[in-house]
Amino acid sequence: MGYAAARGGRDAITAAEQLVRDERESSSSPWLGIDQLIDRQRLAVDRVMGEGGLWDPHLAGRALQQAEGDSIEAAHLLRSYRATLPRLAYTEATDVDDARLLRRIVPAYRNPPGPQLLGRTTDYTGRLLDRADDDDWRESAEKRSAERDVLRADASVHAGEPDDDADDTKLGERRFGRLLDVLRGLDLVVDRRRTDDPEPVDITRTATRPPAARSARLAVMARAETGALVNLWYRNVLGPDGYIHEVTLGEVRHAELPVRITHPHTGGTVEIGSVRVTEVEAIEDLDGADEDRERFDVGYGLCFGHNEKKAIAMANLDIACERDRPIDGRASELEQSILMTTDGLDASGFLEHLKLPHYVTFRSMVDRKLAVRAAAGSDEP
Amino acid sequence: MTALDSVSLDDLLDAPSSGSSEDILDEHAKKALRGAILTAVCVPGYQVPFGSREMPVARGWGSGGLQITLAITGDDDTVKVIDQGDDEGVNAVNLRRLICSTTGAEETTEVDEATVIQTRHRIPEDPIGVDQTLVLQVPVPEPLRGVERNMVELARMHAEADYARMWVSLYEDIVRNGVITKSTGYPCLVGGRYVIATTPIPRWDVPRLDHAPFLSLFGAGRERRIYAVPPDTDVEPLTFEDVPFEVEHTDGATCSTCGATDAYLVEIPPLPTSADITRWVCSDAAWCRRQRGDEEVTS
Repeated sequence: MGYAAARGGRDAITAAEQLVRDERESSSSPWLGIDQLIDRQRLAVDRVMGEGGLWDPHLAGRALQQAEGDSIEAAHLLRSYRATLPRLAYTEATDVDDARLLRRIVPAYRNPPGPQLLGRTTDYTGRLLDRADDDDWRESAEKRSAERDVLRADASVHAGEPDDDADDTKLGERRFGRLLDVLRGLDLVVDRRRTDDPEPVDITRTATRPPAARSARLAVMARAETGALVNLWYRNVLGPDGYIHEVTLGEVRHAELPVRITHPHTGGTVEIGSVRVTEVEAIEDLDGADEDRERFDVGYGLCFGHNEKKAIAMANLDIACERDRPIDGRASELEQSILMTTDGLDASGFLEHLKLPHYVTFRSMVDRKLAVRAAAGSDEP
Repeated sequence: MTALDSVSLDDLLDAPSSGSSEDILDEHAKKALRGAILTAVCVPGYQVPFGSREMPVARGWGSGGLQITLAITGDDDTVKVIDQGDDEGVNAVNLRRLICSTTGAEETTEVDEATVIQTRHRIPEDPIGVDQTLVLQVPVPEPLRGVERNMVELARMHAEADYARMWVSLYEDIVRNGVITKSTGYPCLVGGRYVIATTPIPRWDVPRLDHAPFLSLFGAGRERRIYAVPPDTDVEPLTFEDVPFEVEHTDGATCSTCGATDAYLVEIPPLPTSADITRWVCSDAAWCRRQRGDEEVTS
């Protein structure tokens, strides 16, 4: 084996990288800019930020672009970038009621405290594939956009203010009660609040394993792969081992949450920006034989971006975990599943490693097959 | 928790180039890793949890070994990386590229030149000395998972050195199959205390760990565990007095390129339609090359 063969590995890797880059970039179609992804593929960008554990739409857009749209791969790019950054500070705890509402629905009551604010959703849009000619679609979209610009300009002339969404803005910034407060007032929920206020677990700096604090479970789910959580949720509804019985959603919110830190010198609170989050409170009927039949339980879900599937699954699994209590000092199997199997990078990385050469281990396995065969042969009369 | 209580502002200002695009691990992460490595060396065989960072390689592709290597390697080191025994396996090439370009270490294919050897699933055939460190990539660090899957119970079993079910499973294996069928990653008792998974190195390599002159560090990035076999430590494969530990062996197998019989050989099976017989080659490519007297491959 000479020099050329020995260097072949590096050449092959470089050539493979080149092939990916060339095919991705050499298209004759217009360049897919990061702003295109952020503006028009918002849910994909949000998902990557959530699973990547980093709020930065620009970097998430770039990651999606680089990963050719593979959301797990894009989340991996974000996370390995994040791993190079030092931990500078922790944010202060923020009251979620300080968030500016973009959408809020309360399925449990017809007239809950606060608004039912449908916001930006396709929930009630027929799932019809729009087969209009692409050029026509673009033309009408540009026309609508121009009309909106004119309306905005008019409104700002009349009102003397640049923002004609003043009503909505005020609505968004007002603080509303939560359904949970109503239920607590009616003594209809078990109270899982604690008074000792423990520090939340930082799952990026410790090896989380069962038994874990609730904060660790929630943090793991907030970063979990969306599909994995949806599947785990459905398994708990319909699978062989379910801990979700009868759920009603109390709050489904999409909102802008302020991010605040303590100033390192003045010690004062400084707002350094905001992140969009989806927040869900799920009410579960405690209908098990040994459960509190007079009350409900409420689970909590919150994740980066607009990702209602994920936040709903998370809130449901939060209760399911309470229900699957550890028995005889063993870990809750559901908790172990949540903590150990829902991370997209872990699962897909290990799955993909099967493509690596395994001939050293496989030779050893063949050796044992032949040994079993030889042992069986020597036992024959 | 108040802001900045983990790092003071002065620390930050003094921190060496953290966060530059060249770094794939910040200095605080390296410090945490070194702490975990020291704990692992102090408690041989104990799986030390650590806050595994995301690496530019997928989890399952050597991210644990890579973090250890990055934490212990500087620009005065020389690094050898092998995958299945081969320096030129594509994943070995990729990891070596990352390690050497970010640490400034020299690369080599020769064991005697290396100060750090990162490996996926082989211990080189060549002797490794007291001043060298072997870093093993670990996909599954838990040796008892075959008999118990509940992690709280697993922690208890290790804490109490309760390996009874492991012994029972080995006994049942012999009763059912006539032999112990465990192929690679053979469970071993380290320092008479903890049972470890010997990555999935073949059984052929396991005796090399017993009272080895070198330090072995095992890194499982996905499962966030580091464990160690320090130099001169007992590493005893679990077996019974009347059932000797067996390494891989095929009668008559000889390396078809160097003629070696006393090395770990892997098969090159014949096509079903061909009249050829199975051929064998050494998995340790650098060693095989030297047996043939070929010139050293330089980078």
